[in-house]
This record gives sequence, C-alpha cells and structure tokens, in this order.
Amino acid sequence: MSGEKRPKEFYILAALFALFVLFLYGPLSAILILAFQGPNGGLTFPLNGVSLHWFFNLFEQQAVGDFGGSFRRSFALGLMVMAVTVFVSLTAGLAFRRKFPGATPLFYLTVASLVVPSIIISLGIGVGFSQSGLQPAWYSSAFGAHLTWTLPFGVLIMFAVFNRFSPAYEEAARDLGATSWQTFRHVVLPMILPSLVGVGLFGFTLSYDEFARTLMTSGTYNTLPLELYGMTTNVTTPVLYALGAVTTFFSFIVIAGTIGIIATLNRRRARG
Amino acid sequence: MTMVVPPPKTVKVEALEKPPITLPPSLISWLQAAPLTIILGAFLALPILMITVVSFWDYDFAQMYPDFVTFNYAETLGSWVTWKTYLNTLKFTFLVWSITLFIGFWVAYFLAFHIRTSAMQTVLFLVCTVPFLTSNIIRMISWIPVLGRNGLVNSALIETGIIAAPIEWLLYSDFAVVLAMVHLYTLFMVTPIFNTMMRIDRSLIEAARDAGASGLQILTNVIIPLSKPGMAIGSIFVVTLVMADFSTVQVMSGGQSASVALMMKNQMSLLQYPAAAANAVVLLVLVLLMVAGILRIVDIRKEL
Amino acid sequence: MTETTKGGLTRRSLLKTGAAAAGLAAGSGAITGFPTIWAQTKITLRQFGTGVSNINAVAEKCKADLGITLEMTATDSDAAAQRAVTQPNSYDIADIEYWILKKVFATGVIQPMDTKKLKYYDKIVPLFKNGKLTPDSVIAQGTAPHTVGFVEKPGDKKFAKEETQWFTMVPTIYNADTLGIRPDLVGREITTWADILDPAFKGKTSILNIPSIGIMDAAMIMEASGKIKYADKGNMTKEEIDKTIDFLIEVKKAGQFRAFWKSFDESVNLMASGEVVIQSMWSPAVAAVRSKGIACKYQPLKEGYRSWGGGLGLASHLKGAELDAAYEYINWYTSGWVGAYLNRQGYYSACMDTAKEFMTADEWGYWIEGKPAQGDIMSPEGKVMEKAGAVRDGGSFVERMGKVACWNSVMDEDRYMVRRWNEFIAA
Repeated sequence: MSGEKRPKEFYILAALFALFVLFLYGPLSAILILAFQGPNGGLTFPLNGVSLHWFFNLFEQQAVGDFGGSFRRSFALGLMVMAVTVFVSLTAGLAFRRKFPGATPLFYLTVASLVVPSIIISLGIGVGFSQSGLQPAWYSSAFGAHLTWTLPFGVLIMFAVFNRFSPAYEEAARDLGATSWQTFRHVVLPMILPSLVGVGLFGFTLSYDEFARTLMTSGTYNTLPLELYGMTTNVTTPVLYALGAVTTFFSFIVIAGTIGIIATLNRRRARG
Repeated sequence: MTMVVPPPKTVKVEALEKPPITLPPSLISWLQAAPLTIILGAFLALPILMITVVSFWDYDFAQMYPDFVTFNYAETLGSWVTWKTYLNTLKFTFLVWSITLFIGFWVAYFLAFHIRTSAMQTVLFLVCTVPFLTSNIIRMISWIPVLGRNGLVNSALIETGIIAAPIEWLLYSDFAVVLAMVHLYTLFMVTPIFNTMMRIDRSLIEAARDAGASGLQILTNVIIPLSKPGMAIGSIFVVTLVMADFSTVQVMSGGQSASVALMMKNQMSLLQYPAAAANAVVLLVLVLLMVAGILRIVDIRKEL
Repeated sequence: MTETTKGGLTRRSLLKTGAAAAGLAAGSGAITGFPTIWAQTKITLRQFGTGVSNINAVAEKCKADLGITLEMTATDSDAAAQRAVTQPNSYDIADIEYWILKKVFATGVIQPMDTKKLKYYDKIVPLFKNGKLTPDSVIAQGTAPHTVGFVEKPGDKKFAKEETQWFTMVPTIYNADTLGIRPDLVGREITTWADILDPAFKGKTSILNIPSIGIMDAAMIMEASGKIKYADKGNMTKEEIDKTIDFLIEVKKAGQFRAFWKSFDESVNLMASGEVVIQSMWSPAVAAVRSKGIACKYQPLKEGYRSWGGGLGLASHLKGAELDAAYEYINWYTSGWVGAYLNRQGYYSACMDTAKEFMTADEWGYWIEGKPAQGDIMSPEGKVMEKAGAVRDGGSFVERMGKVACWNSVMDEDRYMVRRWNEFIAA
C-alpha cells in the first residue's frame, strides 16, 4: 500500500463503504417493502399482496394506542430538550473557557452522565420521584432524564468548539470598544451558531428516540417510543413498518432542513 | 425557553456601569456552569444516590423497607448467574466494540482521506447518518424479516442454490444480537473518529510522505496515533451502550441470551427494586471503571 | 355490530336529564346534596394497561354513552405492573392482570370496590367470586382470581378468604391459553403439553418469557411429561422450582426452543413466519395468524389450560366525583357493549349475560357456545375472521374455562424463582 498504489486502496475502501451503506439500509429497505403489503399482510415475509393500505391506516384511528398524541408529546419534548440543551451547553461551554474551582469534577460528572446506563437513570429517577411523592410526567421527570443524555453531547461539542476558538477575534472587538455582550452577540455567536444548530439537532433526535430513560419516568402519557413498544403487544400489522418508513422520511426532512440552515448561516457569515 | 439567552447579560451590564468593579472570573464561570450543574445534580447525581440507598433496603413480596442490609449484594455477587451474565455481556461488548471500531475506523478514514471535496464528504456522511434517525425499535425489528427462517437472506440463498435448508443461527442467536448492535451503534464510532481525522493537519501527512514514509507507515505512525481521541470517545459510547442494553439482547436472541440490564429488568418486572438497584450499582461501578480505563489511555479532555 | 342498546340509551338520556338538572340547580344557586358527578361537565379518567384491552373503540363509545373522557395508555405487561406501583398518581383506573395484582394490591395503590355500587355484580361470572365456573368445577391451581378478588374492608392489604362486599377488581378479559400449532407443519396429532418436547420439533418451539408465566408453561409441560407432580404449580417450593428450571435448562441446551416470546406480536410473528410450529399461545394471536391466511390451530390438550385474567382496579387516590364517575364507568363497562366487543376478539368478558344482548345469535353461538358459524364471523373491526361453518377451537366457553389446570401466578418464592429464571436465560 504505497503512495503509487493509492487507487487500489481507494477501491477497496470504497467497496467497504458501499457494503457498510448496504448493511445500514438493507433492513430498512426490507421494512419499506413490507410496508407496502396488502390489507392482510403481516410483519414478516412472505409478502401478502401489494397496496398503500398501511400508509392510509397509519393516519386512521388504531384499535389500540394513539400515534398522534404520542408523536405530539415526543415532538414537544424533543423541542424542549433541544432548547435547554442548546442553552445549557452554550453557557457551560463558555464557563469552561476559563479555569474555575470545581471545573474538573463537573467535567467528570458530565462524562459520567454520558456513560451511566440509561436504565439506571430511569430506575433512579422513577424510584426517587415515587419515594418523594412527586408526580412523574413526560415534561418533568422524563424531561430531566432526557437532558442527562443530551447535555453531555452538547457540552462536549461546545467544549471542542471553544477549544479551537481563537480569542483573537474577541480581543479585536474589545479593542474596538465593544462591550462583552456586544462581543458575544456580534462576534462569538455568529461563529458558533452552526455548531449550536448541530447541538440542537443532536438534542432533538436523541430525545425523540429515547426509550430506556423514558421507561420509568413518563408518568401518565406515553412518548412515541414507549407507544411503539406498547403497541408491539397488540399490533401485528405492517402499520409499524409504515410508521418506520414515514419517520425515516421525516428524518430526511429534518436533516435537509438543518443542513439548509447551517449552509445559510455559513453563507451569511462569509458575506458579512 | 428561548434558544440563545446569554446568561452573562446582567453581569456584563453591571460591569458596564461600574467598570472598576467586575465580578471575579470564577464567579462568572460558576454562574455559567450553574444550569449544567443543577440539572446533572438533580437528574443524575440524586437518582444514583437514590439507587445506592435503595440497594441496601429490605424488600418483601410487594414493598421495600428502608433498612441497611447487604444481602442484595450478597445475592447478586454470590451467584454464578451474575458472573456468567456479566461474562456474556462483556463478550457482546468486546465483539461489538471491535467490529464497530474496525468499521468505524475504515469508514471514517475513507471519508476523511479519500473523498476530496467537502461537499461529497458531507453527503456521504449524511448517508450514514439517516438510518440512525429512525426509531431504534423499528430498526431492530426490521432485522427479523431479513434474517428469519423464511427471511430475505435465507430465501435468496436457497433460491440461488447455495444452501439447501435455511440457516437457523441467523436469527435468535448471539450472532443476531451482535449484528443488530453493530447496526444500531456504529454511528457512535464513525462520528467521533471522522471528526478527529478531519482535524488532522494534512501537512503532517505531506511531510511524512516527503520524508519517504509508505502509506502503511503514514497510517500507523501518523493517522492512527492522531485519531486515538476519536477512537476513545467512540469506544466510550459503544461500550456503555452495549453494557446497558436490554432490548436488543431480548429481541434478537429471542429471549435466549442474557445481559446484565435484562437481568435487572426481570427483577424490576416483579417489583424487586432493591435487588435491581444492587445490580445497577455493580453495573455502574464496572462501566465507570471501564471508562476510566479508556480515559487513562487517552485524555479526551485535552484532545477535544 | 349490534346497536340495539336499550340499556345504553336510557342511561344516556338519564345522564342528560341529570346534567340538565344539575345545570338548573347550579343556576338557581342551590347545589346541595346533588351527586357531584352530574354537576361535572368534564370528567376525565386515565386508564392504562396492556394493549390487549386498552382499546380506543371502548374509549369512544364511553365518551358517547357517558360523556366521560377515557384516556387510554397502552404499555407492555412489565411496564404496566411497574407503573401501577411506582406511579400511583399517574392513573385513575389500572387495567392489570390478576397475578400481578397480588403484588400491586399489597402496596396500597388500589382501593377495593363496594359491590353494592356495582350494578352488574350479580352477573359477573362466578369464576371470579369462588373460583368455580359451574357449581361442581374443580378450583384450579395458581393465583386464581377469586383468591385475590376480595378484602374484608377498605384499607386492608390482606385478601379475604371468600366473597365479601369489597371487590378488588372487576374482570375485563380472561382466557385459557394452550399450545398453538401450525397443523400444516407439525404433521401429527397434538394432544398433550408434553408434545412440545418431541425431538421432531427441535428448534421449532417456543414458550413465554415473562418469568411468572413462562414457569407455568414449563410446569404444564413438565408435569405432562410425567417428570414431576406438583403440589401446587402456582406456588412451587424451592425444590420444585429447582427441578423445573434444571429441566428447562436441559431442554434449552438441547436446542429444543427457537425463541421465547414476550409480546403478542412476537408470538404471532414466530408462528406466521414459520420460525416456530408449536408454542404456547393466546387465542387472539392464533386468530391473528389465521387472518393472514396461514393455518394455525389453538390446540386443546388433555391436561387442560393455563389461564389468565385481567381486571380494572380503582386507584386509591380516587374520591368524590371522580370515584363516582369511575363506578359509573365500571357499571357501563359490564353492561354489555364492551363485553360483546371483547368476546368478539376471542377473549371472554366479565358478565356474559349482558354481553349476550349485544351479540347476534350466530356470534354468540360461535364464540361462546362452540357451535358452527352460520354466516361469516367478523372481527370487531369488521374484517372477516372465520367463514361460515367454522367451529371455534376448544369448543364452548364452559368447555374451555371449565378445563383450567392452573392460573398465572406469583409464588411465595418468587424472589428465588426470578433468580433461577435468570439462570435459565443465561444458561
């Protein structure tokens, strides 16, 4: 594998990459195919007719469960988690730019938050709430449980961003007489905005899909992953797959939207 | 909650009015770090404390009683099941970790060093990301129609005449568990490695090449050492995710294989919380030790 | 679907009159002694339970008949038990199974119901009152619902020995489980639980993987194969647990099982995809397989059935108007419409007599009396489930529920049992 033989290495790796993509998409395509089954279809092969039945069914009232309500809750929770994650990660990132007493323990607490198994957090918060007589709900206990998962990601990303952030710009702004707030608002913020959008996207998707942490903390109403799990106790139709196909499509849109925002931000920054 | 409300605002206004009196920097830092500290304190530190306390409680048929007993630990640590289950979980962890590391490294390497334009890099990276935005549960069960006895793989192999009878171990086996986990968790390895690789100074590689290093030498002496932080972060993700997994093991092994978290869940399903808590504490200690081990090898904080 | 609801209509009009009266009373400023429920315009009850019985159609009908909004949350059975105990304020009505009630009730989160306020208490199948379907039935082993069905007085956490005025749960659905088979693939007569051990089915069998239920499956199999005789399958001694688990481990190591299922859909998928040809199964799961055009039979066995049941319990925090509404809901639930709906799913409901009024003679004959269907039998959703001439596997209600060998249960040694079950899974 010397420099001259590079094309060969490239093709091997490209083949590996193609295999990897096939591996990622293979099962998804299986459920996509199965989602288009006829009204008598099941969750496994062989196929049982072809139709759009289950996509329509998805938007109808199900015998059990409530896709709509749980989707709205998960979506709202995702947005809440996103907002708080962005805000807290930003302030924490700013804090860590300086050395301060307690910085190291806080850093390790953040890492711990990442590595503590989710089921343990779920159990702990669940038992804690019930022992102290508090009412668990998706917007309180589950909200907190999700934050312990999204915050370390956000904080570590902001960490990495500020680590490579040259203070020269700020110094320049300050030399020109800008206040700290002005410096932050007009110099720092525009530069880190794309990363913040990334943190937000991370926060949203991690929360939107979180299952174990919600398991014992959700209170009365289910979030979407819990609903899906609950529905598997009763649903044996490809409507689950139709939902999978639709959510994947939804994810495509979210990603495309985010990329669009980041690209616009970058362009504006380049122009400004 | 608005997206960007910088907390230093009040502080700074005050600073503006009376320039000589500024808040000490550490106080500002504390204020800025306060939201993180409060949230993690309330929803991480307290629950873990709670679990630790509960693990010493007594329990009976239906309820738990505040007490200080150690038999939850004695029962957990004194039984061969626990050890065997931990061994099994560690086996899954090791397999999934090495496979995802292998895939993650080469995929990231390909993206970072063989794709020339950054637009193409972004596109290909996103191609890898999209499946990870589909619900974990759906992605997991999507393997069942592929691997089953009459699934895609088996029917394809039988139709092409490669095998005569369906391969049984494709589904409901350790193989299926590892496969599904790799599928679920690879992105957590690809992303940090890709991220670190993108930050490797390209002139270092040029310099090495100018100095006569072969591709292999560049790889082993420049790229791998410099990608270590990414690998470490990815490893932390994968190790902790696999150690704590219960649903994948349950579904993909068809209930025939055990993991530590699944053992906990079985206890929780019969409301034996103190026993589950003791298990949780043991698992937590083990996971923290493993992560500490990884952090000892690579200081991610410095390398972030 | 039959819509000839005399009872429902009168009750609804009664409700309307009541509400009008309350409005009048409120308007004239004289709200005294009037039942609070009538004055409430918006009553919401939060119910949770497994997907099996948390049916949206029931909530809709309840809203239409009673004006009570029913918020249903479906979970898997593990989560249901945990929610019942750890989040007692998150629900008003708990829909849980009888075996776990033994644990849940003891934590004090459920209040018993006054049978005097239950309009259709007399019509509830006697199985839930004294354990006997007919006066000369033998009481089955395990946590039979009547053993956890009553307490002496409110506040008690110990169950009463016999029928009292205080009823812990009103049954929702119950059924008798047995082995489901793929008649096209097993290729022989199946008559006993022990047939699951036949080497011919190696790698093509499955049992339930909820520890408390799976061990009952195992017990049925083990006793049928003559390896042991339990004093009480539903309450094994440590020795019996050891023997059962050792036996299971041995069978598992020999590769007899393909998988263990935990949820309804898993059992359907295992069967429909041909992964498994013989496994313990629920009756509606068999119906679900059949509805996909795949042959599947709910096979009666000579040892009898392993039975289970669920019920509605009232949360301890309910009082006043909400408690009244909950009673109203339960009375409505047992008044027939829901019962008919559940019967049509292939389960059995609490008050068979009231349900009968809401079913056609043909439906009643097919589902409950075990007679051949005269016309097509439709599912509650209006899909054809069985063609004319079909006979229900296992026969009539009395034949099925009369042959229960044991109920799902929680054992006194359940701590030990779970530990050993974990061993089995880890083996």
